[in-house]
Amino acid sequence: MNKLKLIIQHEYMTIVGKKSFIVMTLLIPFLIILIGCVPVLLAYVNDSADTSVTRIAVIDETGKYGGAMKNNDNYRFVPLLGQKVDNPHDFYIAAGESIDAVMVIPADVDESQLVSVFSEKTLDHSTVNYLAHCLDDTLRNAKIAAMGDPELLSKMEQAQVETQVKSIKWDEHGDEQEQSAEFASIIGMVLAFVTYMFVLSYGAMIMNSVVEEKTNRIVEVIVSSCKPMELMMGKIIGVGLVGLTQFAIWVVLLSIGSVLLGLVGGSSMAADTSAMTAGMNLPGDSGMNAGMAVEISKALAGINWLSLLGNFVLYFIGGYLLYASLFAGFGSAVDQASDSSQFTTPIILIMVVALYAGIACIENPSGPMAVWCSIIPFTSPIVMMVRLPFDVPWWQLLLSIGLLYATAVLCIWISARIYRTGILLYGKKRSFKEVIKWVK
Amino acid sequence: MNFIDVNQVVKQYDGHLALDNVDLHVPQGCIYGLLGPNGAGKTSLIRIINRITRQDSGTVLLNGREMVQADIANIGYLPEERGLYKKLKVSDEIVYLARLKGMPRRLAETEMEKWLERFDLTEWRNRKVEELSKGMQQKVQFITTVIHRPQLLIFDEPFSGFDPVNAEQLKQEIMELRNQGATILFSTHNMASVEEICEKITLINHSRVVLEGRVDDIKQSHKKNLFIVNVAGDKAVEAHEGIFDIVSGENSVATGTLIKLCQGAQLRDAIAWLNENYTLTGITEQLPSMNEIFIETVRTNA
Repeated sequence: MNKLKLIIQHEYMTIVGKKSFIVMTLLIPFLIILIGCVPVLLAYVNDSADTSVTRIAVIDETGKYGGAMKNNDNYRFVPLLGQKVDNPHDFYIAAGESIDAVMVIPADVDESQLVSVFSEKTLDHSTVNYLAHCLDDTLRNAKIAAMGDPELLSKMEQAQVETQVKSIKWDEHGDEQEQSAEFASIIGMVLAFVTYMFVLSYGAMIMNSVVEEKTNRIVEVIVSSCKPMELMMGKIIGVGLVGLTQFAIWVVLLSIGSVLLGLVGGSSMAADTSAMTAGMNLPGDSGMNAGMAVEISKALAGINWLSLLGNFVLYFIGGYLLYASLFAGFGSAVDQASDSSQFTTPIILIMVVALYAGIACIENPSGPMAVWCSIIPFTSPIVMMVRLPFDVPWWQLLLSIGLLYATAVLCIWISARIYRTGILLYGKKRSFKEVIKWVK
Repeated sequence: MNFIDVNQVVKQYDGHLALDNVDLHVPQGCIYGLLGPNGAGKTSLIRIINRITRQDSGTVLLNGREMVQADIANIGYLPEERGLYKKLKVSDEIVYLARLKGMPRRLAETEMEKWLERFDLTEWRNRKVEELSKGMQQKVQFITTVIHRPQLLIFDEPFSGFDPVNAEQLKQEIMELRNQGATILFSTHNMASVEEICEKITLINHSRVVLEGRVDDIKQSHKKNLFIVNVAGDKAVEAHEGIFDIVSGENSVATGTLIKLCQGAQLRDAIAWLNENYTLTGITEQLPSMNEIFIETVRTNA
């Protein structure tokens, strides 16, 4: 037991003491924020930076809709009211450099609702959309006007309906709590993704560490001092603790960051929302208005955080043990990290399937696929994350956790048997079949 | 009193018999050579004594009683393929491996200082292992093997990778450890070092023990009645029918002539004849080297 502690300590310190670990741990929260900001930035850049102007000649055969085409920063329209042009191409050639495209509004546009635009280069999607947008309202209003009722337009506007659904959940005392299904989905997805990323990256870390010890030949020295099982478990636990440390640092960093942002932005984020959620709101926080923040904090309060986080930790540990032991076991069967793909591919494939199942289950977190995938041990650590924010029947939780831990123990047992043989064998590449034989 | 008793050990890997009823008896305080060609089963045997793997049948006794897992704290093992954590500092490496062997941290640290000083590595203690030269890494590895003062030391090719100066230092350290009471099991191909430091040997070939005993006794039993004859003057020694033959080779009057006694002939007959015909200045028995015995034994057992 003492040796296990020593090995855990060693594995932990080896990774945590590395410069790369410290840098990555401090950097990644900023990267996450940055990545979160990229789409917004890109959209902004797209809007403002595109100063090129597309000049479009409008051949309006109807003589009344040419005015519907409104100039803006990107488009300049040259109306040719009522002018008859037989061949748009000839016109285009004659106009030379002064126009980029020719738009034809045919005389029967009221019936056909079809206009054409000609150009030498392919017009992008946003141009086509803009043209359609300009005409839509005008054509609609013209149609309404043709019906002869001058008040029809205002009546129609009054009749415009947009239904909003407010989801309210009763807690055990029957008190009402507002709930946001979208928000619950986002939280579920974030938890699923965190689990996936963590298990994958730390599993790979374990595998590399096993292979490295083997190529270094240090493993023979170590197993002459302790049991192979102790070394393997020490590694799995030590690396797992590194993961939890990193996770804790991120949560602290993100909550400090969000508190700071909250102070600066004067947002009314409820102070009692947990550190986790505060962290997750960070990217959008600054731009959020107070009303929205209140709404979100209400939605946050509607989720049972204690059971959510408790279950998250349980699944996280179970899933980690299961996959990490497989990585360790199969890692011991190869001499070089580059040979490991034949063993890692199936493991990663299962995880990817689990992630996609999780994504698919967002639509219907209580459907049969979600239920089954959250009970099968290999997918449950990820899929159950998606379901957790929506209440899961307790028997399903118990069954799923029980199965997960039983499978994890089985995987550790199998991997330990592969490991103790694998670490001492060098030279030829082992097939999957051969490795399975070592279990016996 | 034997420190290690390996009795009738059998180990099978996937249809291949690695050890076939192997016996090994290493007396307390002995430097014992475990010899054999590549793939003969030496490493398998060493791993069993180390409890890295388990034998299929047979027993391993340490100090007269069946080995248990706790006994590994009493063994120091230097594997043939040396291995250290390359990214660790020298001092962290030594202390970690010493603690894995059950040494308390403080003791490991004070012992480490002594050893580092002894091997002139003190100023390297805070460097990473990968920054050290290969020779220095070997020394670090040696320190990690002996720092916990094990009663049994197992060295697999200890001299490989050492230059002659360091190899000599290593040899002195091994002798010193023996003098302090450690038993040393020593696996090597280097027959010169076997002759120099081993008292007893076991030769394994094709998973079986084919030769075992004291080095001196083995040499005696393998002698071929060869003698080096030195005579005064420059008259070349010639063969004498029925008593001895000249063994072809680089014979000269200056270095001596190698002769082989004929079947049934006595040494004194040869000396008498030589005295009659030459001025005999010296005659020395030529015992076979361990190298020759090794090759001969392995060939005849092939």
